[in-house]
Amino acid sequence: MRSTPAKVFAFARRHVLTLYALLAFGYLLLPISVVVLFSFNHPHGRFNYTWQGFTFDNWVHWDAVPGLRGAVEASLEIAAISSVSATVLGALIALALVRYGFRGRGATNLLIFLPMSTPEIVLGASLLTLFLTMNVTTGFWTIVIAHVMFNISYVVVTVKARLVGFDRHLEEAAMDLGANEWTTFWRVTMPLIAPGILAALLLAFALSVDDFVITNFNAGTTVTFPLFVWGAARAAVFPQINVVGTAIFAVAVSAMLANVVWQNRRARRLV
Amino acid sequence: MTNTLTRQAFLRRALAGGAALSVPGLLPSLANGATEEALAKTLVFSNWPLYIDINEKTKRHPSLDLFTKRTGIKVQYIEDVNDNSQFFGKIQGPLSHGKSIGRDIIVMTDNSPYPALLIKKGWVEKLDKSALPNLKNLVKGLQHPAWDPKREYSLPWQSGMTGIAYNAKLTKPITSLDQLLTDKKLKGKVTLLANFGDTAGVVALANGDDPGKIDDAAFNRIVNKIKKAKSAGQIRQFTGNDYAGMLAKGDIVAALAFSGDVVQLHADNKNLQFAVPTAGGMIWTDNMLVPKGGDAHTASVYMNFYYDPKVAAMVEDYVNYICPVAGADKVLLKSDPEVAKNTLIFPTSAMRAKLHQIDPNALFNPDYKTKWQQLLGA
Amino acid sequence: MGFLHRHRRLTPYLLLGPGLAWLALFFVAPLGFLGHQSLETQDPIELTYTFKWAWHNYSDAITTYHTQLLRSFEYAGIATLIALLISYPLSYWIAFRGGRWKNVLLLFIVGPFFVTYLIRTLAWETILADQGFVAARLRDLHVLGADGRLLATSTAVVAGITYNFLPFMALPLYVSLEQIDQRLIEAAQDLYASRVRAFLRVTLPLSLPGIFAGTLLTFIPAAGDFINAQLLGTPNQAMIGNVIQSKFLELTDYPAAAALSFILMAIILVLIGIYVRALGTERRTG
Repeated sequence: MRSTPAKVFAFARRHVLTLYALLAFGYLLLPISVVVLFSFNHPHGRFNYTWQGFTFDNWVHWDAVPGLRGAVEASLEIAAISSVSATVLGALIALALVRYGFRGRGATNLLIFLPMSTPEIVLGASLLTLFLTMNVTTGFWTIVIAHVMFNISYVVVTVKARLVGFDRHLEEAAMDLGANEWTTFWRVTMPLIAPGILAALLLAFALSVDDFVITNFNAGTTVTFPLFVWGAARAAVFPQINVVGTAIFAVAVSAMLANVVWQNRRARRLV
Repeated sequence: MTNTLTRQAFLRRALAGGAALSVPGLLPSLANGATEEALAKTLVFSNWPLYIDINEKTKRHPSLDLFTKRTGIKVQYIEDVNDNSQFFGKIQGPLSHGKSIGRDIIVMTDNSPYPALLIKKGWVEKLDKSALPNLKNLVKGLQHPAWDPKREYSLPWQSGMTGIAYNAKLTKPITSLDQLLTDKKLKGKVTLLANFGDTAGVVALANGDDPGKIDDAAFNRIVNKIKKAKSAGQIRQFTGNDYAGMLAKGDIVAALAFSGDVVQLHADNKNLQFAVPTAGGMIWTDNMLVPKGGDAHTASVYMNFYYDPKVAAMVEDYVNYICPVAGADKVLLKSDPEVAKNTLIFPTSAMRAKLHQIDPNALFNPDYKTKWQQLLGA
Repeated sequence: MGFLHRHRRLTPYLLLGPGLAWLALFFVAPLGFLGHQSLETQDPIELTYTFKWAWHNYSDAITTYHTQLLRSFEYAGIATLIALLISYPLSYWIAFRGGRWKNVLLLFIVGPFFVTYLIRTLAWETILADQGFVAARLRDLHVLGADGRLLATSTAVVAGITYNFLPFMALPLYVSLEQIDQRLIEAAQDLYASRVRAFLRVTLPLSLPGIFAGTLLTFIPAAGDFINAQLLGTPNQAMIGNVIQSKFLELTDYPAAAALSFILMAIILVLIGIYVRALGTERRTG
């Protein structure tokens, strides 16, 4: 039998990785917990840097800060429009890439890859140059255009990953049973790649809501939530900013959690 | 919403509002209400932060609410002017193509080239003088600036001083620029303003030069002094208005700052003090302008409202800057005699003697501009 | 549908068309305009821009801003390395020990990403504040000098970059680690390889695609970042992103900013090229 010190040592060795993982999670969640905590802070002045008392007030009156509500609404609207558009455009591209042979595959892949490998600052700046030269006023719609642009690549990658593992025999079987291509697509293909499409949509939505750099260049005088934080943060850091940040975080994590649970259930059902 | 109001409706509203303001104060507004020109429903007003009266609890602006009450015009007040260059950079694109920037009033400082540049390029609308009878209340000294001699395009919002703000709890009083830049105890805990008109002026004074006449030699002296402090790690950042957060938090202990800000920051940190540097400080004026595409008539109606000494006093009492509206001082003294002791609102003549303005030619010198940016950037 | 069936060959192009057109219009074309603008000169007083084949914009940019360029790649490189070191064990743990909870555990990595970038960085400003808890304790422990601070240093900036881009490193690592067939590792151990050797000879090489993807997805955006340098650093930590930002949005010196943008992109592409080569060779001989 092993002696106690040896047992302890073995235990430690086995779990050192777990311990490390816990520390790493702690590190990842530290700023988040600060954000959530300080959303309940009650500062006397304009800044939210030191703890001065607990209150629910900020959550109740989350839009008491002038301009915050408008910024959040703008962000959500832009995210909704751009994520749906980007998902449609990107999913179509992914379908083409995985299912069909065509000339120019390499060039297409390059075109998809390049925006992801270009620093945001260059993407934003070049778009601004386009709008200035074409005499387009920057504002809400230019932000939407920009967000669709950078989201397409991420959608393609996400949906592609899902499509590649897709079993085409299912489609063949459906068609053997008399379904035409359209029906097959809607009743066999779509439901099965739906999680991938949904994941891409959520990713695009999240990237859009969070985007600062590209939006900063192309927003003109429109204010989205990240821009509001940047601008307002110069003169004041209201706890309500933390409230909105926490809310977005909570919704996103819940959505992803729900997606995971749903997928687990489906996996179990299929087995 | 409303466009033409009857005299009765006006009076009813004023009385209902329980205004402490007397009827004579309403007469100018009545005159405007009867004009045929339609007023916009909303006035979009871009201004610097910490620059208007605010109810800390409700986060509303009493003077703006009063304006809405009197005229029915809603005010969308946006504090997005943090730095003259940054704001101009944002609006230059659309304005240069003749597009509106979605603002009726913007506020920029005369110690930056931009008010003059905006007028020169024709990117601002002329004010509607027929809506501005209160224009006569503008203090004499500000009636004919070189860049807008007939006040056709602009009206001052506030004047102010650039000096040194310091945290009395974390440091002994900092009263000279040299102290700010060389005291080793302040290393890394000092910020300067990014605006050339502010910082270069104060440094020039510390060098013994006249900020009103900056030549190449003087400019180089300024740059070298700052460079030395920068390399020594003395300066933490060059800021717009964002020094406020750092001061409140304690990340910086002293900064080149604007006089009125310090008072408003007391809610965050009551140890903050303001001092005019011993060698001298800078005085400047922030001006309201109407960018092209903005509603000049509605903007003028607002400006007229602001130039009522009673309204100006409301704002003044809160922001603690130097008011450009004659008579506001008297109103303030009557309602709050303590305020006479506030040297930020009423600088003593000794203080005024130490306040200077920047050389406008230096503002337009492209060589200085490039060198200054390099100093800030690298 | 009959139409599509008869014109099978067209289908892929119809599917690709809208998306690629969007990218062509709003990604490729703007780069063209940017290129054109990089060859203009600005009159700083009149604020007009004239096209003059001003190649000197590029040489001027490099001579004036080489410090910031080098610094950007330095910070990005260090941040990527640290991110790799931090993420690898974490992703390994989730992939190999996560079991049924793998997807939930991933949420811990991805979750923080959903708090707005700026708010996360501002939170670090609170945590690392000069007068805050962490800095004060470090001064007590003499890790920091009596006058020391955490914020407004290169350390803070690199730490910020590392933190903000960690998910970009951890997720690709996880994906490739998760795909490794554990039986291969068992086989190696059956052949008397120690744990460490099995890791070095089996796991690590098989996770190379993940390392490759992760480092690229981290390094590239990090090199162009400016927010961390602005909020957590001083002008002495300014990265090339700060310069480009300032030139575009404050000075409106579009030509210089455009030139700098292309230089940044070019260097990144070159570095990627070298990196791809290096890794490719390794795989062949590995």
